[in-house]
Amino acid sequence: MSQHDNRNESDGALINRREFIKKTAVGVGVAAAAMAMPGFILGKAGAVDVTDLPMKYKDYNVVFVSFDALQAAHVGALGYPGNVTPTIDAMAKQGFNFTNNISVASWTVPASMTWFTGVYPSEHRLTNKFSVFNPPNNNVISNLKKLSPELVTLAEVLKQNGYATGGFTGNAGVSGGFGYSQGFDEYFFEKGKFGSMGVSIPKGLEWLHKNKDKKFFMFLHGYDMHGQNIPVEGFDYRFVDKGYDKRYTGSAAEQEALREEGLEKGTVALRDEDVKFWRAIYDEKIQRTDARFKKFLEEYEKMGLMDKTIFVLTSDHGTEFHEHKRFDHGFSLYDELIHVPLIIKLPKQKTGKVIKDQISSIDVMPTVLDLLDVKMPDNAKKQLRGASLVVGLKGKDVAKDVFFETDYRQYTYKRGIQTKDGWKLIYTLENKSRELYNLKSDPHETKNLVEQEPRRAYELEQRVFAHFKAIGHDLNSRQWIPGLNPVYDSQAKGVQKK
Amino acid sequence: MKLRSTADHSPSVIIRCTAFVLLAALSLGVAVSNAEESPILPERYKDTNVILVSLQCLRPDHLGVYGYKRNTSPNIDRLAKSSILFDNTIAQANLTPVAMMSVLTSQYPRVNGMIAFDAAKDAVTSRTLPEILKYYGYTTAAVSGSPEFFMRYDTESGTEIKLGDVFSRSFDYFGRTRKGLGSSLRVAPVESLDWISKNKDKKFFMWIASGVIHVPYAAGVPREERTLYDPPGYTPFWDKFHSIKAEEGAPDDTTYDVLMRIYKDEYYLGFKPVYKLTPTDYSYIVSRYDAAIRYTDNFIGQLMDTLEKNNLTKNTILIIHSIHGEDLGERDTYVHYDLSESAVKSALVVRLPGGEQGGKKIADQVQGLDIMPTVLDYLGIPRDYSQQGASLLPLIKGEPGATGTEFAYIDRIPWWEHTLSRWYLEFKNSQTNYPESEKTPVKEYGAMLRAAFPPGSYPPGDIAIRTKQWKMILRKDPRLLEKVSWYGYITGQTLQYGDIELYDIVADPNERTNVAAKNPEVARSLKTKLMEWDTSVERKKAVYGAGEKRFIIPYP
Repeated sequence: MSQHDNRNESDGALINRREFIKKTAVGVGVAAAAMAMPGFILGKAGAVDVTDLPMKYKDYNVVFVSFDALQAAHVGALGYPGNVTPTIDAMAKQGFNFTNNISVASWTVPASMTWFTGVYPSEHRLTNKFSVFNPPNNNVISNLKKLSPELVTLAEVLKQNGYATGGFTGNAGVSGGFGYSQGFDEYFFEKGKFGSMGVSIPKGLEWLHKNKDKKFFMFLHGYDMHGQNIPVEGFDYRFVDKGYDKRYTGSAAEQEALREEGLEKGTVALRDEDVKFWRAIYDEKIQRTDARFKKFLEEYEKMGLMDKTIFVLTSDHGTEFHEHKRFDHGFSLYDELIHVPLIIKLPKQKTGKVIKDQISSIDVMPTVLDLLDVKMPDNAKKQLRGASLVVGLKGKDVAKDVFFETDYRQYTYKRGIQTKDGWKLIYTLENKSRELYNLKSDPHETKNLVEQEPRRAYELEQRVFAHFKAIGHDLNSRQWIPGLNPVYDSQAKGVQKK
Repeated sequence: MKLRSTADHSPSVIIRCTAFVLLAALSLGVAVSNAEESPILPERYKDTNVILVSLQCLRPDHLGVYGYKRNTSPNIDRLAKSSILFDNTIAQANLTPVAMMSVLTSQYPRVNGMIAFDAAKDAVTSRTLPEILKYYGYTTAAVSGSPEFFMRYDTESGTEIKLGDVFSRSFDYFGRTRKGLGSSLRVAPVESLDWISKNKDKKFFMWIASGVIHVPYAAGVPREERTLYDPPGYTPFWDKFHSIKAEEGAPDDTTYDVLMRIYKDEYYLGFKPVYKLTPTDYSYIVSRYDAAIRYTDNFIGQLMDTLEKNNLTKNTILIIHSIHGEDLGERDTYVHYDLSESAVKSALVVRLPGGEQGGKKIADQVQGLDIMPTVLDYLGIPRDYSQQGASLLPLIKGEPGATGTEFAYIDRIPWWEHTLSRWYLEFKNSQTNYPESEKTPVKEYGAMLRAAFPPGSYPPGDIAIRTKQWKMILRKDPRLLEKVSWYGYITGQTLQYGDIELYDIVADPNERTNVAAKNPEVARSLKTKLMEWDTSVERKKAVYGAGEKRFIIPYP
């Protein structure tokens, strides 16, 4: 792992993600078997080659982990040079590593519910914190059962098939109050917090000890990497340059202020050293989270469950560090926000495979059901919009054009498409503005090619509108006027509706 | 209306598409579609030119090919033999900029935002036909002889038009007729012919607009041709009351001022009827109108010659359409004040390259906003999701189930009085040799209008729905309409408007009798449809952007 030792090899700010992914793809895909992976893996009896995996895992367990706000570019297995995700990387090397997984949204509430319903945010309708917002008194929290009572969740399907279902989360965007608990026997969320895996993991392990002899589905989640979560023990600033002038300390309040500044003004005034500082803070959070997850796996292994379990590791959205002059997430749909890891490790799988095909987080639910050989109930057979990636695990090309969206507070309504050949169009509904990027030549999305490629922009725009119309959301049937739609409690208190 | 005897029509012969083997062979190029994907569109945009000829105030029933007795249109009649003729085309509005923008965007007026003459130059953000064609490599050019399309300009100099008008957007070249003052703006846009000859090797879209048929009819054309159909020895009836100012036109021109003061065949001055029109007076007005058509038809002949001379007929779509029609007194008024059949029925002639499918006549109802989807469909360009019309190719090809538009929708927006309140009233008041007794009340009327339509307020409008048999007009604010009505003003009476007007346009094409009470079921269902449409339009209506100061070129 020597090439990953020096985290500062690239200062992170402008990593060409696709280049790194390419580089790592070669490293992992070809050299994995020969690499000095922890000895217990290769040496262990019962290791099954990828091509011999059965791909049907009826009655196996599933552990579905969401590392909230993990940007793809900061994951070692996806090309990051810093060694901040050794545990995740090791699992990627044993499993299927989807290096081009695009989330359907850029913030937690809409993005995560797509894993559990298999439909786009516009369809499950958890696109805002409130379904009614009339402060101070008439506010109704969005709830899946009320907004989309017809939808069946992944936990419900598995429960119907005899699974014990437990969710252990950091609350906030995946709070039970939004209906995330639908279908779970037990659903833990730390009230009032952007909670840590430091809390959700022990709760989860407690539940596992009680349920380890049943077949189970476990959702494990924490905000440890998210801007609103600070390690209980505080930062040790392990990756911060010694000479940094400490304009920022890495606090949640600072992060919030930067987010708000970007939203209000369109840009945030940050120096290069500040951006570097924030990435260092992010790396520390990621590394600490990875260590927590490592401990979880150790406990898990002690329970003897590893060979009976499918692991799904992913994230709901990324985060932005001034790549497009803003901070945090939710407002935009750039790569740093929607490109997230997806690692699927099958029971007894010891050799990994990198799958570079572009896929979407909408494909996760059909894939899990397919692996478990579980069918959707009759009333929900037509629900799933995505496709199972199992054929992709077997080697078939599963690359597809993907769609994404965000409605963010009083600021924006955006929709977008990313084609499998690397073109991306972001359409902003309230002002009809368009951004067209050639991700192959411009992976950082810095050159809007709408003027140079008007025909391509036009045709992709037609695709976006046709897609949303096809799922029952004719974007052209109304005006899009941003209103005050808070996401965070701090914005909801005492505000007047505009 | 006994006066209306000169405009005698023979019944139209409707040739329905017959299933000749030959026609089937003349495939319009729908490629073989595979089971899962939509049909592969033919890529005709690679080598097909498009010419759109938009004629103001052209009534189809005054063209030979639509059955008119007078020989007003020998060239269009000839062209129709290699074209598809639409017999029942409805404009989306009764006013030129509003109806035309619906054609250029395939959107209803409130959706594209062109809902007032003083709309800001960036009021319309919807995609236009030239904009989309430019994406596909077209050179775009326009030549306009209709000041409605270049009257909103950017500089105070008043001498040079910047390409700032809402209609000039996405044109590489935007030519206009501007030979002097007044009616001379409305001359044939012959400059377009030179442009075509010079650019014949480019792939082009040419939009040609002409206002020759607008009041004062044919005023900008040579006298000999203007007077072609004049009743012998006729003296204009207004001569005994007042003259016509030189900048307004010749003394015998059918000016706006004169025609807008005729109500129910009476000429109004000083808020009372001073003269009752005779059949000869009526015949004179129609003669001038027809002369304007004949002159315009000559231009169409020149255009066809230009295409033939430059070998362009085989690879050019040529579409000739009325922007809207014209009232000639059938419903008490002239010009194009309301949503009468005469004002909204339009001519539509589509000539496909090589005269494909030529000679067909299609009776089904279609709309102005179907033109753009038809062009895109033929060219193989994906249509924009925001377009509200439908391609006419299935009708042209005679595809089973293609029946046109069951319900056409029309906006009367803005009320003409809104335009008067903005600038037109004062402008006309200073243009006409009326006595002070006529001019002073105009000022008071103008003040009342401005109070009724405050700056920045959304212009009021009426709406209508039309089927093959029925037309319903719904007055959105009948009391306000009564208060501001121009005809109420000139007659000194309060005109009464009901909320709902329903006409049987087959039995009563001039819409003299409101039959809403007699047909409650029809009225109820049409009103429901109309309100559904209105709600859908209101939900996505464009922001009304008339906030900035506009400089308007007054036009005759």
